Amino acid sequence: MRLTDLPGTTSFRLALLFLLLFGTASLLLFGFLYHETNGYLMRMADDWLQREQVGFAQMDEAAFFDRLRAHVIADSAAERPFSLFDASGHRIAGNLLGVSPNLVVSAPLDRPFDFAVVTNGQTLDYRGMIHRGPLGNLLLIAQSASGADRFDAVLIHALLVGGAVTGLLGLFGAAIAGADAVRRIDAVTDATQRIVAGDLSQRLPVHGRTGDLDRLVHVINGMLDEIERLIQEVKGVCDSIAHDLRTPLTRLLAGLERARRRARSTEDFATAIEDASVETRAVLRTFSAMLRISEVESGARRAGFKSVDLAQVVTDVVEFYEPLADEKGISLVWQPDGMTATLPGDPSLLFEAVGNLIDNAIKFTPSGGHVEVGILSDPRCIGVEVSDTGPGIPIEERNAVSRRFYRLEQSRNAPGTGLGLALVSAVARLHGMDLVITDANPGCRITLVRTTSEQPDGI
Amino acid sequence: MARILVVEDDTQTANEITAALGDHGFAADAASTGREGLLKAAAEPYDAIVLDRMLPGGLDGLGVLTALRAAGIEAPVLILSALSAVDERVRGLRAGGDDYMTKPFDFLELTARLDILLRRHAGPQRETVLRVGRLEMDLLKHTVHLAGKPVDLLPREFRLLEYLMRHPGQVVTRTMLFEEVWNYHYAEPTNVIDVHVSKLRRKLDPDNNRPMIHTVRGAGYMLRAPD
Repeated sequence: MRLTDLPGTTSFRLALLFLLLFGTASLLLFGFLYHETNGYLMRMADDWLQREQVGFAQMDEAAFFDRLRAHVIADSAAERPFSLFDASGHRIAGNLLGVSPNLVVSAPLDRPFDFAVVTNGQTLDYRGMIHRGPLGNLLLIAQSASGADRFDAVLIHALLVGGAVTGLLGLFGAAIAGADAVRRIDAVTDATQRIVAGDLSQRLPVHGRTGDLDRLVHVINGMLDEIERLIQEVKGVCDSIAHDLRTPLTRLLAGLERARRRARSTEDFATAIEDASVETRAVLRTFSAMLRISEVESGARRAGFKSVDLAQVVTDVVEFYEPLADEKGISLVWQPDGMTATLPGDPSLLFEAVGNLIDNAIKFTPSGGHVEVGILSDPRCIGVEVSDTGPGIPIEERNAVSRRFYRLEQSRNAPGTGLGLALVSAVARLHGMDLVITDANPGCRITLVRTTSEQPDGI
Repeated sequence: MARILVVEDDTQTANEITAALGDHGFAADAASTGREGLLKAAAEPYDAIVLDRMLPGGLDGLGVLTALRAAGIEAPVLILSALSAVDERVRGLRAGGDDYMTKPFDFLELTARLDILLRRHAGPQRETVLRVGRLEMDLLKHTVHLAGKPVDLLPREFRLLEYLMRHPGQVVTRTMLFEEVWNYHYAEPTNVIDVHVSKLRRKLDPDNNRPMIHTVRGAGYMLRAPD
């Protein structure tokens, strides 16, 4: 990670944006506080000036001078100085010095006003009021504004210090958040590059379970699992196709070669051609089955989905396979009990899937056994299950049997393309169902089940 | 001799189809584009048309079909398609197609279906009693008699026999039986049909001396009155 990457990260920019918003809000709040407090102080000063003026106005001459003298003595610091001027504006008495005669003469009577006085090279601000006293003298009542000035200074100081601390902390936080984001994105980028380079077993790094980046990473890792599975499957299928088709094609070629060497009569040739047709048909059938599985897996048939009663489909399948079971001396058990299990689906594909399950069950169950078909239908799940009294499927091979071309050792020589359960599994997935294999003791039970809250995965 | 027009862009496939149709006793012509097919169909009266769903050059199978029907050409049309989705089939049939087959297909299946299409097109069947040799089926009473003696059939066996009796002397494939009698569309014909047919065969000919349902090797079945 480089420091120059920092300003580009979303976390850093977000943190800066919040810092800016917070700063602006604080500034506005400070401004408002300053305005309100200043106004309040001003009103307080004016009230006091007014009260004093009214007090002086009601006094006789002796009381006026007594009050003036007493105040000047008490207010030695000249916080609230009083001075008396003659009609031309020259000071007669009082503790406010340096006021220009001009100001005194020109100021309005009995109304507050602001003024400044320069003493010892220092400018002092005052708020004051002129009152015409006895003998035509002018009385200046004033209050120093230094309190308000000090308040302003404290406020600005607080604003500066607070702003600096907030700004520094904010920048620091933004840098930490940005650095964290950069570090994690770097890790994800590295992992992704390794995956692009061909290492499909790599997964993106995860820190926790809840963060937004982690949620995304979890989804992407899930996608990578699926891609890896699919690629493995494609590899497996290619190998299996090569392997499974080599046998019939070799037989086909051998038959044709033999006919060329040995056949003498028209009948010999006819037999050879018939044998070749049978082999070719088997190869074609395998290809069709593969094409059908890909077609089902592509999900295109979901467009033609309609509401299907699984119980009705099962009834039809059972009726279809009953003679076959009879012929093998197997009892095919199905009690519909007037149940219905409706789901959106493709009736022909469901028929084929359930048919394949029953066909397999009949194929692997010895004579005298039975095959039982049932429907699952409750508010939570819908499904169909087929159990038999055959040899069952070993637990370690249960995941593999629904793979294309996979065959159990014991059924290596049984007729079929080795694609039946792969097709069933594809049809099940298309309908949002899971294929579950369990023990029926003896035999095996295969269940296609769909939990109703779950939608079939989208395309 | 029935005349069939084959509209198929792949020359080799077209040659194989016309050859198979010729061997079956049809006179077959080929057209390699939708436009050519349309012109030929308009110029000469064909008894049936085999139409590829995917054709190059703008006018595809469904377009040709729609144009044919708009032009008042009512010959039965069998659509060949690599697309087997149910809604594809429905679209094909809705556009005026009479049957739909998915590639790869069996030539015997194709000729068998054409036979049925030509027969069906010759006129609708409104009989209430079907007769083939000494076999008699009453569609209203749901009874079957063989040489005057009642034959006891399960409902599905009855429909199986009805379909065979409606097409006596014609090859009926397993796929056709499955679609017509069981009403499901199966890409791959299943041998379980054979078990149903042999049960029916035993009921019609318990002593196995006057067979009526014959197996046609590699294709399907044919119902024929014993000689």
